[in-house]
Amino acid sequence: MRTLVTLAAAAAIALAAPAPAGAVKLGIVAFQMSAETHARTANAAKAAAEDKGWEVTLLNSAGSVPDHAAQIENLVQKGVDAIVLAMGKPLQAEAQLAAAAAKKIPVVTVMSGTSPHTLFDVTVNEFEVGAKIGVYLLGLMNYQGNILMSRYEGHQGTKIRGRVMDIILEENTGVKVLGTHSMARTQSWREDVKAGMEALILRHAGQFRAIWASFDGQAFVIDDILQAQGYKKGQVFLTGVDGGQEAFRRIRDPNSLFTATVAIPFELMGEAAVDALDDILSGTPKNEITPGPYLFMDAVLVDANNVPAEGEWPW
Amino acid sequence: MNEFLGRYGTVLAALALFALLALLAPNFTAPMNLVNVVKQASYLAILAVGFTLALLAGELDLSVGQVATLASVVCAALVFAGQPWPLAAFAGLSAALLCGVVNGIAVTRFKIPSLIATLAVGVIATGIAFLITGGVAYVGRFPADFVALGRGTLGPVPLPVVWLGLLLATAWFLVERTRTGAALVATGEAPEAARLAGIDIARIKLLGLVLSAGCAGLCGLVLTAALASSSPTIANEFLMRGIAAVLLGMTTIEPGRPNLAGTLLGTLVIAGLGNGLTLLGFPYYVQDIALGLIMLVSVGFSARFLTEAAFGGAR
Repeated sequence: MRTLVTLAAAAAIALAAPAPAGAVKLGIVAFQMSAETHARTANAAKAAAEDKGWEVTLLNSAGSVPDHAAQIENLVQKGVDAIVLAMGKPLQAEAQLAAAAAKKIPVVTVMSGTSPHTLFDVTVNEFEVGAKIGVYLLGLMNYQGNILMSRYEGHQGTKIRGRVMDIILEENTGVKVLGTHSMARTQSWREDVKAGMEALILRHAGQFRAIWASFDGQAFVIDDILQAQGYKKGQVFLTGVDGGQEAFRRIRDPNSLFTATVAIPFELMGEAAVDALDDILSGTPKNEITPGPYLFMDAVLVDANNVPAEGEWPW
Repeated sequence: MNEFLGRYGTVLAALALFALLALLAPNFTAPMNLVNVVKQASYLAILAVGFTLALLAGELDLSVGQVATLASVVCAALVFAGQPWPLAAFAGLSAALLCGVVNGIAVTRFKIPSLIATLAVGVIATGIAFLITGGVAYVGRFPADFVALGRGTLGPVPLPVVWLGLLLATAWFLVERTRTGAALVATGEAPEAARLAGIDIARIKLLGLVLSAGCAGLCGLVLTAALASSSPTIANEFLMRGIAAVLLGMTTIEPGRPNLAGTLLGTLVIAGLGNGLTLLGFPYYVQDIALGLIMLVSVGFSARFLTEAAFGGAR
């Protein structure tokens, strides 16, 4: 059996496709490929790089910070020409990114925050995203009535959206928050949201006009609860953030209560990171691509009025 | 010859694998890369040494990943609350040891199979970690001398490797040179005979589980220092790889039995394989498949011992 294992390993290694001579070697590290948004970003970056004829090593940290750091370390040792971090953890991997910077390996991050050792972060302005959806939701309610909230404080983006919503609610006192569920767990989060929001919806049945969810995944769980409890489209407004084909399908679906989302262009961000690195490797100064630590992309509010057809995107 | 292959076949297979990687993977044998591989293996090995000790006593500790996380979170919370880091680290380690005591009491006093008891304690540890953090990571703000424990070096040797060396030497001395170590092995291999020989097997099993939790706690602290951060899932991923390392170790040196040298080899193979596959440009899912195959083959060698450890022999 040991011989079998050795042979299998040898065969696997021998099957490694050789890189085109002189191709740019790009390492992409996605923090959690099982999260749709991370996968969309990383896969788009990979496709964009392969379109350029680059050799891509795509890694998944599977939500593990130690793995994340080790994978960046391994890419530095591999001698890649550039690195993209999708929803990475630059603060936790500071030592590894410093090693990359010391070897003059450019690193561009996507929705990861900034670091002195990376060039810039391709992102949307989460404060703007939070403001777009918050003001939109209150507008639908004519700034009167009660809402429920499904929050998540464990992610910088969703946390900011929640804080922005707090400010909007402070300024608009005609809308009251009847109940809030804060999602804590990251692994069994769907169960967490289901249990928490089901209880809130039952407790406040007939008293709320809208539900604010910090991201679409939460909103989908809530949508299913509302449909199961007999709510009809328009009876309750339900919003999220992220966008994606499932979000658009629900907005089109006459039975769904999912009303609107702010679609974040994850694919475009992955592509932008690769394009930026292409420019950097060609000698374009970083400041000509973006002057500051961020390269901001636009997020689009999508509702029934501008929802794209199946398979289409709003940009 | 057959006996030699039986004892050292896995070592030879590992050497063949490393030779193959050295031949095919660019930079695999670069001194800096080898240092990184050993450093990356050291975190897992610290945890896996404890897992091995529990298994030697005939018990399976499935809480190690979550206990490591709890130690990390307790330490980080106290550091962020302004407490001196030695006190914070002591508290983190104490929390881990307490989990070990609870595991031990559940298994020896209440006769709960270790598979169930440690799984439950792991879930409790996760709950406490989320209670402390609210799901949010502690990043930055760790004192430099604490961070140095994970990022510093002793000459060219990274400090995590030094901690592992000290732990391995201590564990080896305990197992090979003390009566307690002999009792540990006897309890795991033949509990009834050990009881008849006058060994307090309940006390020894409790000791095995406390040592396992202690090593997990140490792993959590070293990780926290190395990453200068903590989160409520920081070491949870280590359980499966820890098991894989120990199982792989059980196929060699003392085939069918948990042993420290084998465990060390197992962690080196896992870290080396991850590093080598990245250097070769394999995507993340190939690494998952490779790890799964290692576990599958290893379990084939160790099935009987594991079944007894999981569901209990005499206590």
